[in-house]
Amino acid sequence: MSTQQQEPESQESPQDPEMKGTESPQQRRLREKQEGMVEDQAEKEAEVEGETVHLKVFRYDPEIADKQEPRFDDFHVPFEKGMTVLDAVMYARDEFDSSLTFRHSCRQAVCGSDAFFVNGKQRLGCKTQISDLQQPVRIEPLPYQEVVKDLVVDMDHFYDQMHAVEPYFQNDDTPDSSDLEEQRQSRENREKVKMSTRCIWCGACMSSCNIAAGDNEYLGPAAINKAYKFAMDDREPEDVKEHRLRIMEQEHGVWRCQTQFSCTNVCPKDIPLTEHIQELKREAVKKNLKFW
Amino acid sequence: MSQSYNRGLIEDFGRWKEFSAGMWAWIFHKFTGWMLIGYLFTHIAVLSSAIAAANGETMMIAGEQVNAYTGTIQGLEGLFIIRVLEVGLLAVAVFHILNGIRLLMVDLGVGLTAQDRSFYASLVLTGVITVASVPTFLSGVGL
Amino acid sequence: MAERYSSFTPGGTAWFLQRVTAAFLIVVLAFHFFLLHFVNHASEVTLLGTQQRMDHIGYFLTMVLFLVAGAFHGVNGVYNALVNQGLSGTPKKVVLAVLSLAGLALVAQGTYVALVMAEMI
Repeated sequence: MSTQQQEPESQESPQDPEMKGTESPQQRRLREKQEGMVEDQAEKEAEVEGETVHLKVFRYDPEIADKQEPRFDDFHVPFEKGMTVLDAVMYARDEFDSSLTFRHSCRQAVCGSDAFFVNGKQRLGCKTQISDLQQPVRIEPLPYQEVVKDLVVDMDHFYDQMHAVEPYFQNDDTPDSSDLEEQRQSRENREKVKMSTRCIWCGACMSSCNIAAGDNEYLGPAAINKAYKFAMDDREPEDVKEHRLRIMEQEHGVWRCQTQFSCTNVCPKDIPLTEHIQELKREAVKKNLKFW
Repeated sequence: MSQSYNRGLIEDFGRWKEFSAGMWAWIFHKFTGWMLIGYLFTHIAVLSSAIAAANGETMMIAGEQVNAYTGTIQGLEGLFIIRVLEVGLLAVAVFHILNGIRLLMVDLGVGLTAQDRSFYASLVLTGVITVASVPTFLSGVGL
Repeated sequence: MAERYSSFTPGGTAWFLQRVTAAFLIVVLAFHFFLLHFVNHASEVTLLGTQQRMDHIGYFLTMVLFLVAGAFHGVNGVYNALVNQGLSGTPKKVVLAVLSLAGLALVAQGTYVALVMAEMI
């Protein structure tokens, strides 16, 4: 307990310029500001008050009789500069209610465990600054997934879809080991798939997708992006690429995407998901038309 | 642990205030699409009066004996409500066309980062074209 | 859930045709609106005027193609909207059959009307 409590304080200590520089939270905030999601007012107020953050957290526990009815719990957590949503719920758990349950691990947007539905948008808890949010901060589990307990959702379906696209490198004619030890990718090709490799399997995109919500068989943005990463990899032979496109062009593959851009808007790693899905659609059409 | 809770539809219309541009574009495109296909069926039904006209059927319109086709169309066009509905149809068609162009661009992978702005642009342009067309659409009809 | 799906129903052709018809419809729908509301006013349409327009074979063919493209684009769009809402199994097949019939009926009736207008029948 005590270690969990101390770590966020030392790590998240205020104004670490390097932390700010990585992962372009600035860019993201700019975009959110354009969309009118961020209330400058709220930011200023939080700074002026400097005291507490009001959290409204979704609670549900199937194992305890009087917690089986979902409800929202209020927590007032002392605000610290640089505090993220994850820091806030960790504080609430450590200080107020140890039964508050959520997944988290690396706290630096790499493990993809802590995607929550924060103020009506899928966000990564560890990458969302409290100061950017309007209060009370409403924290819910990801929509369209079954809630196991509190903020923990069942990710099985998401993982099934990820595995359905064969997310591993396939190449039968590996070069002779005496002659080459690595299968090198050209710089240009690496640049092409760069953004798609950033996926951390957090499930935010899938949860934001209106179509995935209605059609359970739809592969979803994350899985299609994963397929894109391999389909666009030049090192895989042509027949493997065709095989991948065949998976993509099934009825519940790429065609279900309606270009609502919801996934692209919520992706915490700024992957241009819609762009990748669209490119796979064009590739599939090209393959079928042969001439193009 | 075997139990879990299904929260059902979360992002239904109750959350419409939180919808983004792309989502609105999709909703409007679908809505206008339903209107247009509905209209197409009606349109062909009305134009089918040409068959009756070809068979020599006539009707009275504004005290004149005219063929069934001319009579049906001019009869409908004489109604103020039809003119208003036509302006609505124009708005629906123009939005569907403009947003359709936006979607074709998205399909071609052009300007994906500007997709929200292009949606707002198609909305504004639809409004302008519709308002500008009102005089033409309402000309020569009595209230 | 996520097992390998059957690939007997690839949506690629329909998706592509939806885009091709869209591009065609954009042009022709704009032309149609312009011609029948701004050049000729809809309230002044008469059988004679319609017959004159339809006598041009190019106009006639454009209108028939317009109808076919519009019917496909619309009916396929409705079908996709329903599939996106999670329509599956037998209801999906029934909906497909009903929509196909409605689309065919629309094209048949529309073509018949066009032939009458062009005084070909």
